[in-house]
Amino acid sequence: MTDVETPVAPSEKRRRVPDWLAGNVLLLPTSVWFLFLLIIPTLLVVAYSLGERGLIVPVKFSWGNLVWSNYHTALNPSFLPIFLRSVRYAFISTLACVLLGFPLAYWIARFGGRLRNVYLVLVIIPFLTSYLIRMYAWQFILDGHGLLNSTLGTLGLGSHHIFLNTDFAVILGLTYGFLPFMILPLYASIERMDKALVEASYDLGHGKVSTLFRVIIPTIAPGLIAGVLLVFIPAVGDFVTPELLGGVKTQMFGNTVYDQFNSGNNWPLGSAMSVLMMVFILFGVFIYLRRVGEDAL
Amino acid sequence: MSDPDRVNLAFIWDTDSPHFSRRTFMRTMAFASAAGFAAACGSSSKSGSPSSGGPTTAATFPNKPEAKVLNFYNWTDYIADDTIPNFQKETGIKVTYDNYSSNDELFAKLSAGSTGYDIIVPTDATLVKMKHANLVEPLDLSLIPNVVNLDPRFRTAAYDPGNQYAIPWQWGTTGIGYDKTKVDGSVTDWDAFQLPAVNGKSSYLDEARDAFAMALFALKKDPNTTNTSDLDDAKNYLIDLKKKIKQITSDYQDPLKGGELLLCQAYSGDVFTIQADNANIEYVIPTSGAFSWVDNMALPKGAPHPRNAMAFMNYILEPKVGADLTNFVNYGSPNKAADPYINKDILNNPLIYPPADVLAKLPFQKDIGDAELAYSDRWTQIKSA
Repeated sequence: MTDVETPVAPSEKRRRVPDWLAGNVLLLPTSVWFLFLLIIPTLLVVAYSLGERGLIVPVKFSWGNLVWSNYHTALNPSFLPIFLRSVRYAFISTLACVLLGFPLAYWIARFGGRLRNVYLVLVIIPFLTSYLIRMYAWQFILDGHGLLNSTLGTLGLGSHHIFLNTDFAVILGLTYGFLPFMILPLYASIERMDKALVEASYDLGHGKVSTLFRVIIPTIAPGLIAGVLLVFIPAVGDFVTPELLGGVKTQMFGNTVYDQFNSGNNWPLGSAMSVLMMVFILFGVFIYLRRVGEDAL
Repeated sequence: MSDPDRVNLAFIWDTDSPHFSRRTFMRTMAFASAAGFAAACGSSSKSGSPSSGGPTTAATFPNKPEAKVLNFYNWTDYIADDTIPNFQKETGIKVTYDNYSSNDELFAKLSAGSTGYDIIVPTDATLVKMKHANLVEPLDLSLIPNVVNLDPRFRTAAYDPGNQYAIPWQWGTTGIGYDKTKVDGSVTDWDAFQLPAVNGKSSYLDEARDAFAMALFALKKDPNTTNTSDLDDAKNYLIDLKKKIKQITSDYQDPLKGGELLLCQAYSGDVFTIQADNANIEYVIPTSGAFSWVDNMALPKGAPHPRNAMAFMNYILEPKVGADLTNFVNYGSPNKAADPYINKDILNNPLIYPPADVLAKLPFQKDIGDAELAYSDRWTQIKSA
């Protein structure tokens, strides 16, 4: 009897991969990806930030000689105005994205009908073109003889406005570039929202404004929070938009970091700035999630 | 110039400009992360080896037979039609000709590893960078007897004294480009940036050494100085000037052409290219002085056919060949012996062949070694001011 039963049980066990193993095997590609493209590069940046600068070899790192002064330089108050400018640009862009993105997402989700997916594709279509090329396109639209000035001229509003190389141009570029990142998560949560909630709110005597603020926005909060993070974080660290649309007075922190790896010839300082930036953003996100409620996500 | 097509052709090469063009910038940004990563890997692996600074004595090239092949990597449209065919006829060496459009592109390609090229044509500042990064091989001048044809000023140039690493190809200056119809008042010197007409409509180059040179010339100081108090003065000058300009950029060609920028610190070659499209744009060599830039033929480390490469360099230094080249691309030739064969309208153009008193104020950018970092630090302060 035992002779018959024993061979069966192990073979069944062998056929079934244990759950913990199956899970880990499936996670392996992602883990490798994160290890090589996130964790190791981040550690490299941290190591560089503690290295010594050089001209021929840009960074000399050794455990025996950790150079903490890079952080001291990075925290020099002369960089503060640029840092605050980055935060201001990113904040205004995020706000603009919410104001533009919410009505659009709401409209697509609630009134898009059968064409909903078409509208969504239209939102995504700009992504089919490189971000750089779209920023160059904005250069042509905004420049002195560009589309915007000639349109305004035709409307009799004057055709000699200066748009390019201003704060406005940079904020416009950031808003335009990151708007889809706001629309998509907003759409997802609005689409999932039970529209009976809105009717119930009206039935119970709420007006349109109070329905918006007391019913709709709390319900779609997860999408809103995700959208704000997805727009604010890349916007605050951006350097391409100010480089292409900005001028001499619109440098963002990302440009300062970028410069350290080029004409500034100071990789350790650039790395220290990056680390501080990461810490600051992580800290900010942490506070933000605390305030708006992490269970909303 | 009786043949108009020829003139156009000559100008076309520079659409990609010897320095940073719009397209270049895009490409640079697109590859920035990849190249940065590659560079990081490259430099960290290099840090282990003791070979920094590069050898000081010229390498000798064993007289081993080389295949009759030469791989030449040059700027886009920067050569005469018959330069290569004649060389092939004369020597039987088959030339493969490839192009790039920025020093960054060339540098990134070279630092990523062996490319198989035998001749590259970096601009002086990039040549210095390559020298420090050990990417170029010293030349054996005994294989380039025509080196004596060079104008003496190119034999002692501060970026490569004695032509240890490179033979100059063509040269120009880093001066001012401006729109003569919109800038009233005479533009003769660096103080033109102070003209009210250009307030908020000018730019200087996003290259530390070039921008500092402008300030140092304006302040009547040595443009290659390593004196920190002079550098501080220049820094303050540039920070002050920053309030009056629109942009710090090396990407000024289109804005200058289109009227967005009225006055720019600019490379002569770029401005001559713009003139083909907009005749109102003028170029001027500032009276207090400017840097000369030089594109140079150099031998990349590990070039498979060094002797063929040096044979080609020698060929370019022949008077007639050098003259044909300049007649075609409309740049200054470093080849003094070529003068009798160069078209009179080029030779008599003071912006291409400046008279002796102007020439005396057009020094080369010097290799200042670690002092470069003193420039970098102040450059960061200027840009974040």
